[in-house]
Amino acid sequence: MSLASGVQVQDECITAFNEFRLSHGKTKFIIYKISDDKKSVVVDEVGHDQDYEAFRSKLEAAKNANGSPMPRFAVYDVEYDLGSGEGKRSKIIFISWVPSETPTLWSMIYASTREPLKSALNVSTSLHADDKSDIEWKHVLNEASGGKAGK
Amino acid sequence: MNPSNPPQAGEYGGDEVSAIVLDPGYSTTRAGFAGEDAPKSLIPTYYGKYNADGQEKLIYGDDIFVTPRPGLSIHNPIGKDGIVEDWDMAEKVWEYSFTSRLTGAKASNPLHNGLNDISNEELPTDMEVESDEKPLADSPLLMTEAGWNPVKAREKTIEIAMEKWGTPAFYLARNGVLAAFAAGKASALVVDIGASNISITPVHDGMILKRGVQHSPLGGDYISSQIRALFKKNSPQPITITPHYLISSKTAVEAGQPPQAKYKTFPADKAPDATYRALLEERTLSEFKECVVQVWPGPNKLSATGPTGVSNEEMARSSPGRPFEFPDGYNQLFGADRFRVVESLFDAKAAIPDPDSIFPAPTQAQTLPELIKASLGGVDVDIRPHLLNNVVVTGASSLLYGFTDRLNHELMQLFPGPRVRISAPGNTAERRFGSWIGGSILASLGTFHQMWISKKEYDEHGANIVEKRCK
Repeated sequence: MSLASGVQVQDECITAFNEFRLSHGKTKFIIYKISDDKKSVVVDEVGHDQDYEAFRSKLEAAKNANGSPMPRFAVYDVEYDLGSGEGKRSKIIFISWVPSETPTLWSMIYASTREPLKSALNVSTSLHADDKSDIEWKHVLNEASGGKAGK
Repeated sequence: MNPSNPPQAGEYGGDEVSAIVLDPGYSTTRAGFAGEDAPKSLIPTYYGKYNADGQEKLIYGDDIFVTPRPGLSIHNPIGKDGIVEDWDMAEKVWEYSFTSRLTGAKASNPLHNGLNDISNEELPTDMEVESDEKPLADSPLLMTEAGWNPVKAREKTIEIAMEKWGTPAFYLARNGVLAAFAAGKASALVVDIGASNISITPVHDGMILKRGVQHSPLGGDYISSQIRALFKKNSPQPITITPHYLISSKTAVEAGQPPQAKYKTFPADKAPDATYRALLEERTLSEFKECVVQVWPGPNKLSATGPTGVSNEEMARSSPGRPFEFPDGYNQLFGADRFRVVESLFDAKAAIPDPDSIFPAPTQAQTLPELIKASLGGVDVDIRPHLLNNVVVTGASSLLYGFTDRLNHELMQLFPGPRVRISAPGNTAERRFGSWIGGSILASLGTFHQMWISKKEYDEHGANIVEKRCK
């Protein structure tokens, strides 16, 4: 067991993720957050908006009561075209969003909870973002497709 | 507030435990309560030894600097590679770091502390006395360690914590992982510039990749030795550092003029050991590093020639010098030299030779760019770009002016393909105490209780449990 915060992943996180996987693209993303009492990971929002920008602006808008930017975890269903007639693929990517202005306390808690959540959801493709440029569509597409799309 | 209602969890701290976080370094030892922003106790890891009334005495903490006692010698329980050499003394220094400011001293035996003396020599024979109160009996303890700390040392550490200090719960965290986490990253390449070592620790998904851990002795103490080498060759005159305790008075002199000071002398039998003087000289050197020394910001080495055909040395010479005054009043302006004393962290050939130095001339393999290359060479090729995109800089010596700029240039030259991004906290305390702060946050979390190794588990499984639980 690697060093971890011990923050619990609530069952609702996994249930929501399983429904998401079976929704065949109707659900586009889930945003998770760590509860204010720092005890568990909970579902912040399940999104159906097909526009990536809607998802991105939700991540960027995450703030705490004092107005400091707050981190989030998310899973996003990335669809991409391999081009030259090879057809479309889709892949779920796990994103940790820890903007660099996050207070150290929350950076620490999110960073030390990332691995337990990622393995509980069992997603192999992941991306860490601390700068707005890291969550641009192009970058996410490139990571999800293993460099095959989004160049 | 209605007194008939019990306090809410938030009001009395709920299940948050008053754990102690101990971050032992080569130069300083940091200790404090979990949940606080900075370590309350910051002491030198050095300790002093002298003889008085025919008995050997030991002194710890800031007291070692104060009085030049006859024969006082200074020692460090930690070896140059950052691993404990003298366990008995490491235990004592660490114990001092928390008992002096945090938990209070061990309760002394009530039979002998003078409070219960009975005048007529009647001994309280039928009284059972708990004579061995342990200093951490009430506090869980989180300690940090270097990524290359060997198994034996880790086991010895938990043994001291459990058996000598009586802690009810213990955890040993790698300081590279803590520094990465404090920067919000579960995966990062941690560049730690400490006093005795510089180290590169690749962290992936919250675990250190052991094969990629690299370290070399070109840390703050090595830079001090380079500054000493520079002072020996200094013009207009070589500079001797005379610590304050050897100066009784001084008068101001013009820059570059010989000092006008009256010195104190100690007869041979009253003088402290040479190690005491060296320790105090180190304080002046620290100040010199903070005020004068600057890392050539790049691009390219200091010895290279810039794109306009002007050599970097010349550029360095033309930048304004920085003045520095020594304790004896000697002062001068330091120009290009202030770049030269740190250049060998990047370019071994630039080292200022000094046959008397305790540090052998560095090899290129010990420099930062080569360490980073070797470190990345030891990890899976797929994660290298990811690590380069998440370089975390920590350690007090990384605060040298211009350090991160130069590191950035060196990395971009070494790895032109992937995007290199360095994150280094601008806040001085976070850079100096990065791993302590990380440990402080983790140990303060109520949910962290499941990570602790309890005394019961230690009793059942022995010291080796630290290998299984603290990876």
